[in-house]
Amino acid sequence: MIATSERCLTFSDEELLARAPQDMAYFQCLYDRYEARLLRYIHRLVWVAGEEAADILQDAFLKIWTNLHAYHPALKPSSWIYRIVHNEAISWLRKRRAYGRDQQTTWEASPEAQAMSECQPEGADQQQAIAGILALLHPNHREVLVLRFLEEMSYAEISDVLRLPEGTVATRINRAKAAFAQAAAKSNLSFTW
Amino acid sequence: MNRSEKLLQTIQERGLQPKPGWRFALSRVGGMGVFVVSVVLGALAFSVVLFAIQQTDFNVLQHLKHSRLELWLGLLPLLWIAFMAVFVGLSMVVSRRTGKGYKLTWQRLAIWSFGLSILMGTAFFISGGAARIEGVFASRVELYESIQDKKMRIWSFPEEGYFAGTIESVGDSTLFIHDFKGTRWTIDITGAFVPPLVALRIGERVKFVGKMTAPASFTADQVRPWGGQGVGWDGPGGPR
Repeated sequence: MIATSERCLTFSDEELLARAPQDMAYFQCLYDRYEARLLRYIHRLVWVAGEEAADILQDAFLKIWTNLHAYHPALKPSSWIYRIVHNEAISWLRKRRAYGRDQQTTWEASPEAQAMSECQPEGADQQQAIAGILALLHPNHREVLVLRFLEEMSYAEISDVLRLPEGTVATRINRAKAAFAQAAAKSNLSFTW
Repeated sequence: MNRSEKLLQTIQERGLQPKPGWRFALSRVGGMGVFVVSVVLGALAFSVVLFAIQQTDFNVLQHLKHSRLELWLGLLPLLWIAFMAVFVGLSMVVSRRTGKGYKLTWQRLAIWSFGLSILMGTAFFISGGAARIEGVFASRVELYESIQDKKMRIWSFPEEGYFAGTIESVGDSTLFIHDFKGTRWTIDITGAFVPPLVALRIGERVKFVGKMTAPASFTADQVRPWGGQGVGWDGPGGPR
């Protein structure tokens, strides 16, 4: 049983995944290692924060736990973990959209915008505006922009997370950039990549 | 209690255990198995399509006055083309979902799946397996119209110059045959081109290109083997 976070640091992601079935403490290490960035990712992807995002992350990690043996070393552990979290977040978003399909709301009144305003730092106008534009984009466009420019993943990693060919990822990023630029222009925001 | 401790507590409370590794290994092997079986079945279907094309004289259609479109559609091995499309499609879907198959575009997957099916199917066709499959299918599936049946249909237009039957007896320059309906015909083969591979003997099924001269009488310009086109199709003396 490993007790300290310092000891967690001595293990690679692969080692933690391999040891987790025998000792849950290694799984805890994995969660602690990824928690902050995955919560941030969930927030950027589906615009939820706080306990709701933590619930999505917990559900995703329960899936990771039960499917630990599905991990194949041909994949980077981070890509595999992001894939499961991504799917969980998208699935949550779909459920919520299905629930509120008949509700017509403006962006400002939407739960996404409210969640975002709660989470954006004070005075971060530019950042908030970018986040607002991202939220207006089609989920397919938003997810590739978030993974590429905010999570700073390579095309190969994005391809593994989204289970898409790298060429499709590249095309989607280009289209997403164009969609973002168009939305930014509408909001009088100048933006260069 | 922080979130990671809460996560471990939830796992323990729900009694969750990692699913055994063999289930995932089995799923991967199963996926590969379905892929291989789909490609093989697609290949078998393709081999029968090749066999149908080889056996059916599609080029005769342009010389027939009968509704060409109707004949053409009737002669196409649609069932086998559909089989091939289904199995190749299945192999594409399965390979996309297995391992790192998602790295390949649908176009690439189509090229691989069709390519493999076409290669294996051609080999199977050359080895003569396609004819056996078709034969088994024709004898066991009642509603299925075999390639031979379709071929008989197209070679049953004596009034348009295309005719076939089984030799009953052989004269000096005359053949006596019975057609597919059992009618006895006299065929004048004086001056007809008879390729060396055509055996004019009793019981042999042959095709004729020529002219119907009277009821149950036909003058042949060409005699061809039942299987294949024979020689001289495009040259002088070819079909009108």
